[in-house]
Amino acid sequence: MSREYFEQTIIRILRVVGLIFFITIVAFPFYWMIVSSFKSLEEILLRPANLGLDIRKIDFHAYYSVLFEHGFLQYISNSVYVSILTVVLSVTLATVGGYAVTRLRFRGREIMSYSILLIYMFPAIVLVIPLYVMFSRMGLRDSINLLILVYLAQTLPVALYMLKSYFQTLPPEMEHAGLIDGCSRLGVIWRIVIPLSAPALASVALYTFMIAWNEFLFAFMFLDTPEKFTLSRGVVQLAQSVHLSKQLVMAASVTVTIPILVLFLFFERRLVKGLTAGAMKG
Amino acid sequence: MNMASLTLKAISKRFGKIVALYGVDLHVEDGQFCVLLGPSGCGKSTLLNIIAGLILQDEGSVLLDGQSVDRLAPRDRDVAMVFQSYALYPHMKVAQNLGFGLRMRGVPKQTIRERVLEAARLLGIEDLLDRKPGELSGGQRQRVAMGRAMVRRPRVFLLDEPLSNLDARLRAGVRLELKQLHRQIKSTIIYVTHDQVEAMTLGDQVVVMRHGKIHQIGRPETIYERPADIFVATFIGSPEMNLYRGRLLRKDDRLHFQGPGFSLDLRGLQINLEESEVEVGIRPEDIGIGQGGTTILQAKVEMISNVGSEKYIHAHLGQGTLTVRAPKEAAFQPGQIIPLTIDPHRVHIFHEGRRI
Repeated sequence: MSREYFEQTIIRILRVVGLIFFITIVAFPFYWMIVSSFKSLEEILLRPANLGLDIRKIDFHAYYSVLFEHGFLQYISNSVYVSILTVVLSVTLATVGGYAVTRLRFRGREIMSYSILLIYMFPAIVLVIPLYVMFSRMGLRDSINLLILVYLAQTLPVALYMLKSYFQTLPPEMEHAGLIDGCSRLGVIWRIVIPLSAPALASVALYTFMIAWNEFLFAFMFLDTPEKFTLSRGVVQLAQSVHLSKQLVMAASVTVTIPILVLFLFFERRLVKGLTAGAMKG
Repeated sequence: MNMASLTLKAISKRFGKIVALYGVDLHVEDGQFCVLLGPSGCGKSTLLNIIAGLILQDEGSVLLDGQSVDRLAPRDRDVAMVFQSYALYPHMKVAQNLGFGLRMRGVPKQTIRERVLEAARLLGIEDLLDRKPGELSGGQRQRVAMGRAMVRRPRVFLLDEPLSNLDARLRAGVRLELKQLHRQIKSTIIYVTHDQVEAMTLGDQVVVMRHGKIHQIGRPETIYERPADIFVATFIGSPEMNLYRGRLLRKDDRLHFQGPGFSLDLRGLQINLEESEVEVGIRPEDIGIGQGGTTILQAKVEMISNVGSEKYIHAHLGQGTLTVRAPKEAAFQPGQIIPLTIDPHRVHIFHEGRRI
């Protein structure tokens, strides 16, 4: 057996083992969650170690119960509201801000562009208590719009950073051409920069959406009224409730996960290819 | 076509500590093809960007038809620019690229369509209108970039090294087309290049720049025949002009130049200069090989470069070197001593760097 063949074989085996290992780690809990959500309480209690799912016994009752009896319809709508508004605001502000930092010359530009990421030096848990106190005293706590503000503060730095890096790769001559052809600065951003940045904007939107959709800590601290809960907050509320039934929590978790999954599949195609091919001499 | 004269008055620009332009003055007549020529970093592109309004000058003024445009945004100056990199909009089809400027100006759709077609026909790119820039070759992109400027019918065209990304063969062809195009549309063109062949063949007026200053403005012939200073003399012309530092001497009312190891008879030249240090320049094609002319020098052949259509003979003249342009039939051997004749009237004399 040649050395090369031996090495190839080892690499191949390791690759398969590695893939199986990571897929198991990631996919098994997911699978367990979905399967459990379709079972009845009785089924779970009788055979807790059963990994399979009997197709004939699929039970949608957990979903019905979660959505209509435990107020998850409201939580979904809250989460959608918070996430979409965060995405829109964050992408808009990051586009304008990222563009300014990349292309315009103004005093303090360098400092501003670097200090943007400073907020990441503070873990959320350090910020949450002072913010809690501050917002309580200002009487702003327990508001969904406040949550959007917090999420903006949390997502904007990375959004700005991502867009800035992308804008830097766009050839400035194209924008000059736009300026001479009759666009204002905003016109150039709208008609040239944004269409060409679609992949970057999609990534930023997805990233922001995921943060806003999944965020728990601030939602947990700042929201008191159940009608204002976001999904993640709702799931924890459900999990902590007295009559704990596993299939309900699982169904709630699925409800949280599915939108993100769909979004990912939808945006993935846009993220793949860059759009600037052919602008330049090539 | 509407067009305009362009006047630059004492344009200065610095980037931090680097001075890009020192008070540049220039006037370009209506319908003229003006070429800004200079080595890279001479400020010619900066000047073009200032005319376009993409860069603001620190001092001085840009006038179109005598009207200052200093306070106007690029889009309000009614100029069009062709970029070295073409800078086409990759997300738009060729037709949209061409019509973009008009669309931004609120021109009716029908008119846009007509003008786009007209320009496309002129440039021979009608069958590309539905493609995107990514599907075009370099030459085609270059045409689209030209077309995008033409469709606008601007007062002034600004071209920033538009041919430098084409390969050599294509470049010669497009250069001719550009010349013809200018004859057809007769618009004012400011053309930036570092390629002297482009400058000489295209320009009605050539502006030679270096280090942010204009060295000479003139017709291509003038620039070539009567370079204003040593920089222009050596920058224009290939192979480069032979240049010798030496002393101008007057003996028995007869002028001659004492160079390094040789002496050049300049009888018949009228020069208002006493004996002094000068530099003498002779173009390689102004040197005759063989007996017969007025001035005879001896040079020792060192090397011969054959470029096909002709030969360049590199030789030793005194302590200096010399390049002579010879017909392709010329048969010389390294080491051979050849007699040279030089017409004193074709000799360029520079005193303190300036032509006299």
